[in-house]
This record gives sequence, C-alpha cells and structure tokens, in this order.
Amino acid sequence: MVPVKKNMDILYHSGTLLILLGLPFFLSGTVGLIRFPDIYTRLHALTKADNVGLGFVVSGLALQSGSWAVTAKLLLIWLLVLIASSASCHLIARSAMQKNIQPWTRQ
Amino acid sequence: MINFNRRFFLRILFFSSVWFILTGVDTTSWMVGVPAVLIASGLSLTLAPPSQYRISLVGVCCFMPFFLRQSFHGGIDVMRRALSSRQLLDPGLVSYTTFLPEGSARIFFANTISLLPGTLSAELHGNSVTIHTLDRGLPIWANIQGLEYHVAALMRISPVKRKNL
Repeated sequence: MVPVKKNMDILYHSGTLLILLGLPFFLSGTVGLIRFPDIYTRLHALTKADNVGLGFVVSGLALQSGSWAVTAKLLLIWLLVLIASSASCHLIARSAMQKNIQPWTRQ
Repeated sequence: MINFNRRFFLRILFFSSVWFILTGVDTTSWMVGVPAVLIASGLSLTLAPPSQYRISLVGVCCFMPFFLRQSFHGGIDVMRRALSSRQLLDPGLVSYTTFLPEGSARIFFANTISLLPGTLSAELHGNSVTIHTLDRGLPIWANIQGLEYHVAALMRISPVKRKNL
C-alpha cells in the first residue's frame, strides 16, 4: 500500500504546484485591467491571462481530486468559461467599435 | 429525415453526457435531466442548424496542442506587458479577410482570435474581421493565418477556396 500512497502524494503536490503557477496569471490579468489605457487593451488582459490562470488551477485541482468524474467536471467548467469569455470579449469589443470608441494609440 | 434523426440523436447524446458529467451517478437527477436534455437538443437544432461541415478528429488532435500553446503564449505576453515598469503597448487595428465560409467556422475563428497572443477580434462583417492588437510589431498575419488553417483542417474545409475570392 505504501507505493500507492506515495503516488497520491506526488499527484497532490504537482497539483499544488500547478495551482501556484496559475495564480500569477490571475494577478497579471487584474494588474493589466487596472494599468492598461483603454477598453480594448483591458479586454486583452482579462480574457487571455485569466483563461491561462484558470487552466492551470483547473488542471491542478484535477490532479488533486484523484477522480475521473471530478476531472471531467473541471474540464467542462474550463471549456464553458473559455467559450463564455471569448464570446463576451468579442461582444464588448464590437459594441465599443459600434459606439465609435477609438482605440488608444502610442503617440 | 434519417439524417435529421441522426443529428437529433447526436445532440441528445452530447447533452446527456454533459448532464452526466455535471450530476454524476445520481439517478434521481434524470427526472430533471431528461426534459432538460430534450429541450436543449431541440433548442440547439433550431438556434444552430446542422451545417454541412463535419469536425475532423485529426483536426481536433492538431488543434488542441496548437490552441493550448498559443493561449499560454497569450497569457505570458499579457503578463509581461502588465507587470513591466515600461510601457510596452503599441495597440492598433488591423483588418483580415478570411476564406472561411459563413457560419460556425467563421464564428469559431473569430472567437479563437481573442485567445491568440496579442490579438482580439473586435468586429466581424461578412468575411472581414477587424482585429485589435496589443502590439503592431507582433507577427499578426502569420499567427492569424496559422489559426485560419487549423480551423479549416478542423472543419474539413479546403483552404484552396481562397483562390475563388
């Protein structure tokens, strides 16, 4: 039984590592949201960084769960978030374009 | 009609597996699940009628690693620009004309542009996509063309069609 436990430990700790890897992406997404100059650049920060961060957190939790059912559920959540965030990102950018909001440019 | 029944059956199968993933082995949940799956399948057939394009399994296998790698690069790129003490942005708009046919292929293409490094689809008008980029110095054309070919392979669309435009 000892090797099985060791195996679980490795899974658990690599899961923790993946979750920790995901956190800086969430942080930089939020920093970008505050620091970037206009609506379009802020959308970049939110969608891209958060999707990668969530990907890492989801795979870390999947490794820790040790169950295929939970893993499938987590992957489904990630997929749904990907679809929702890219679609809403496009819709926000499109409505900004239609309102004639000019993108910030470097002088 | 046979084709329609097959489509309906495939959607039922798809939504049933989503329900199964969400609820697990709890059989009583199917009292809500069966009507929900039937309504979802019916709605999805009216809202998104079956297209002539079928998804290729090889295309999916090529697309997944490409997509994961590109979104990772996109995340790193945003992180670098957000955390750097210098101003690393040089945003601008570019227009791209796609050969992908109208419908699910084009919409999928527009949505995945937003997950590539430094690009975001801002408007979709016919076959022209307006793209906002974080940095005009990025190889935007090469990236988008790569994505376009991957989407074409995914939906079994021949890229030769570009010559007709």
